[in-house]
Amino acid sequence: MSFPILLGAEWKKLRRSKIVLILWAAALILWIPSILNAHLNFGMEAEGISPEHNFLIQGFMGMAWFMFPASMVVCTTLIAQTERSGRGILRMLALPVGAGKLCLAKYIVLLILAAVQLALMTGMYYVSASVASQTQGYDFLLPPLFVLGQAGAIFISAVPMTAFFWMLSVCIHTPLFSVGIGLASIVPSVLMINTKIWFVYPMDYPFYVITAKYGELAANLTERNMDLVPWIPIAAGFTGICLAAAVICFGRRERK
Amino acid sequence: MNNISEYKKIRRTGILPGCLAGGILAALVPVLELAVRWERYADISRPPLQIILEADWQMMAMLNMLLVTTIACMMYHTEYADNAIRRIITLPVREEEVFFKKTLLLSVMCMSVLIIEALSLTFCTLRWFGGENGAYVKFYADSFKAPYMEFVKDLFQNFGYFFCMLLPAAAVSLLFASACRNMWICLGIDVVCIFMATMIPMKNFVLSIFPFALPFRILEGGKAVASLSSLAAAAVEILLVFAAEIIFLKVRRSLA
Repeated sequence: MSFPILLGAEWKKLRRSKIVLILWAAALILWIPSILNAHLNFGMEAEGISPEHNFLIQGFMGMAWFMFPASMVVCTTLIAQTERSGRGILRMLALPVGAGKLCLAKYIVLLILAAVQLALMTGMYYVSASVASQTQGYDFLLPPLFVLGQAGAIFISAVPMTAFFWMLSVCIHTPLFSVGIGLASIVPSVLMINTKIWFVYPMDYPFYVITAKYGELAANLTERNMDLVPWIPIAAGFTGICLAAAVICFGRRERK
Repeated sequence: MNNISEYKKIRRTGILPGCLAGGILAALVPVLELAVRWERYADISRPPLQIILEADWQMMAMLNMLLVTTIACMMYHTEYADNAIRRIITLPVREEEVFFKKTLLLSVMCMSVLIIEALSLTFCTLRWFGGENGAYVKFYADSFKAPYMEFVKDLFQNFGYFFCMLLPAAAVSLLFASACRNMWICLGIDVVCIFMATMIPMKNFVLSIFPFALPFRILEGGKAVASLSSLAAAAVEILLVFAAEIIFLKVRRSLA
């Protein structure tokens, strides 16, 4: 079976999972306080950031720090559980398809879900920004290219993190531990982004990227260091190790 | 039906070691914080427990919440995973009783997590604030009773309050878990609710009694009397959850 067909089959399995509803609810809840507190954006002149940029970045920061990583953990549970109940995974392993290929197809599905989450967030941003523009009489809308660029940056920086969550859900069979370790690993990211060695902790990349953008847009805040040299090799190595571990562990227990 | 059957069910699910590990993880937060930047708190003249809790409780409460909601999802996931719930329906046991016993068991686990954290706070107080001129000596030495008595009283008041604040969230997440056949749905709802709770302003009383926001509260001024309204709200919420579960089970049975 070719990889795109496999990917399509994996995607179809999630049709009735209602996961998009949960992702959409998260995106909706994210922007409601922003609409209600839209007037506060005008008080941020002290930091030297324009109200419309503040509106966008504050919302994206709220997403990147907790909700986005946490919904990725929920998505890994979804992908693992739909196949474990009813022993669907045994049937998949009986097919003439490499287990590693199967594992990577599922990981790509997880990345697609991440993209869906960010797309919903961006869509809801435009809805809420136009509502806020109406209520405040000030144009909060930013050009789509800039907004999509930020969402894209979050997505790319989240690849190592999703690989880690995927490895947890494949290698640890007790859902409590795979979910628990995943969720618990999100919490320290708020401490790690303030240290000099933020790049050794992949779970804080999305939050760090968006916080760095905030520092760049706000004239009076110090800019954060975004050196690519120790960061990109560490991120790539971490992703590689996590995916390799996931491929090795995949289906091992079921085949026994 | 035997009273410890619910305990027996979770024996091999990893919930108990997970509960201990989660408690220890949250208990490490103040220890690490004080070990790294103790100077920041050295000159604050407030009761030591207040200092530590104001600095670290947000993060500890977050970890507690994630742990409790994950355990709640697991407790019902084990019932749904292999259709054990259908067998329970045929047993001479009321389904409501299963829910109450699970709530009781989960509250015992909440208590043990909080006990681990209380021990850690005691350690932190004695280690970093217990010396000559430390906050511990300043605030407890000239009381009428023995100093440790006053400290223990404070500790009990604070953690008793935290326990009462954690219970509604535990009960609500069990309610979600009992309603959802698939683990990711209740986990997703819980995560969205926690996310919502992190954005709720504490000044607004009506919003701040949202069950998932209660665990983030600390005693105002260290006195329980000032927080009676939130205690009452927690009690009402628990009763509402029980009522909702009974109604939900009745409706589900009549529709089945």
